[in-house]
Amino acid sequence: MKRNLNFIEASSLLEANETTSVELTKIYLDNIKEAEELNCFNTITAEHALDDAEKSDQRRQQGKLKSQFDGIPIGVKDLFCTKNIKTTASSKILSNFVPSYESAVTQKCIDAGLISLGKLNCDEFAMGSTNKTSYYGPVTNPWKSNKSDAKLVPGGSSGGSAAAVAADLCIASLGTDTGGSIRQPASFTGTVGLKPTYGRVSRWGIIAFASSLDQAGPITKTVEDAAALFEIIAGHDPKDSTSSIKENESFFDNLNSSVKGMKIGIPKEFKSDDLPASTQKAWDDCKKLLQNNGAELIDISLPHTMDALPTYYIIAPAEASSNLARYDGVKYGIREEGENLIEMYEKTRSVGFGDEVKRRILIGTYVLSSGYYDAYYIKAQKIRSLIKNDFNQAFEKVDAILTPSTPSTAFEIENEPNDPVQTYLNDIFTVPINLAGIPAISIPFANDENNLPIGLQLITNSFEEQKLLNIAKNVQDTANYESVPKNWWQK
Amino acid sequence: MEFDKDGLYKLGKLSKIQIDESKLKSLSSDLGSIIEFIDRLKSIDTENVDPTSNSLDQSLVMRDDIASDVNSANEILENAPQKELDFFSVPKVIE
Repeated sequence: MKRNLNFIEASSLLEANETTSVELTKIYLDNIKEAEELNCFNTITAEHALDDAEKSDQRRQQGKLKSQFDGIPIGVKDLFCTKNIKTTASSKILSNFVPSYESAVTQKCIDAGLISLGKLNCDEFAMGSTNKTSYYGPVTNPWKSNKSDAKLVPGGSSGGSAAAVAADLCIASLGTDTGGSIRQPASFTGTVGLKPTYGRVSRWGIIAFASSLDQAGPITKTVEDAAALFEIIAGHDPKDSTSSIKENESFFDNLNSSVKGMKIGIPKEFKSDDLPASTQKAWDDCKKLLQNNGAELIDISLPHTMDALPTYYIIAPAEASSNLARYDGVKYGIREEGENLIEMYEKTRSVGFGDEVKRRILIGTYVLSSGYYDAYYIKAQKIRSLIKNDFNQAFEKVDAILTPSTPSTAFEIENEPNDPVQTYLNDIFTVPINLAGIPAISIPFANDENNLPIGLQLITNSFEEQKLLNIAKNVQDTANYESVPKNWWQK
Repeated sequence: MEFDKDGLYKLGKLSKIQIDESKLKSLSSDLGSIIEFIDRLKSIDTENVDPTSNSLDQSLVMRDDIASDVNSANEILENAPQKELDFFSVPKVIE
């Protein structure tokens, strides 16, 4: 069978009885086995997946399909609670946690008949942009530079989700994005990554990092796949009080790739001499492409762009320090015994959390502590208003905004800077979007001089995912990026 | 910038995280660098700006208060590191 099947191709093959869900699932389980070296999965649920695939095939025979995508194997970031299946957030502290309930998003996937192959590696509690903070070790990017044999990071925090799709270990995957955790790894792995509007997808049952920023979304091989999987997971959920009451839409059926007459904003603050020439070229080429296809380019300004990253590094750790207070060795996860209750808490958390998570809890506690709360936390929330306002004003003039997804392509696993702030800079183009709560997508556009994928980011106003997907499809169909990594990991 | 040692121990106490002696230096330099980074915001004028705590332009949705029978005590206690009867068990708090 053809390698690198996408969602749409797989569903056509299933419909034409040219394959079965069991056959597809077996192929992907074999692919996963061969790619152990990439370390994409924390847990592989082979037996479960084959059982579910068999049931899907039975439904097909009986004409009782749950959806048109019934029987397609996907992967799930290990941040979504899955009933009776270990869910670790790639942390030692949750290394033995088996949820007694299913997250809203994964339940929707089950209801659509999708088959989960297992739980995908990520940065610990989704904190990181390299996938190196995982307790289960880093994920390796399936892409390698054509000039070196060094292993590259897949980006993060949804590094396993992006690498698994790029390496064809699943047809699509679920990730989460708090400051770029879907788009940055999608950009590093030549995949499509969609961060929906805040509130579009239920957060119920997703292990919380920063509750006012977290959103789940798909990582896929094509824009059509992103529309399909997004449509499956979106919609109001009474169990999440921040879930939007807006009606879900038929994003997949309504895909239309025309950009004629659309206004595309190019923010001057994203231009920089530090941007690699190949990324700048990809950005320029995409501008020309959109122009050729009938869109109008408009120079815009988002004056607080450079304030977004420090603002994020106040708000996200503040919310994280509060959310992660629940891991204390009492209700779930590991426990380290102590002489008394406080010592038990401290020992459990010190042994259970990794360095990056501890750093963020400490920073979060600092900015929320008495005497600093107004100067840091409230101040950051005010700047968040300014950032959101920048976008509101821009969307009075333009339909969408085009930027690079990341300031560089994938870098070497061993080459991460020592200063955490240098690592945080990976998310400089993605973080403002989470603070504003608007949707954005990263799509692969070209490869750089080392043959590594460059992703471009499209951004629209809140709840305009349809427009976002349409423009992305236009770019995809015209750019015709078809590059896939060489499968060097196969024995 | 280095984060001062006493401040770091105090933060550790507040966060219930033990500060590892051997990592004290790198941790205080990491935190110092992050604080220096976020301190850039101090110069931004935010007079008369309201804070945003959540970007969703929607008032809080409430669901109907209907009892449901999910997550039984037994299921939840399955994950407890220590339990006794129907309770989570912790080290003795009162002498």
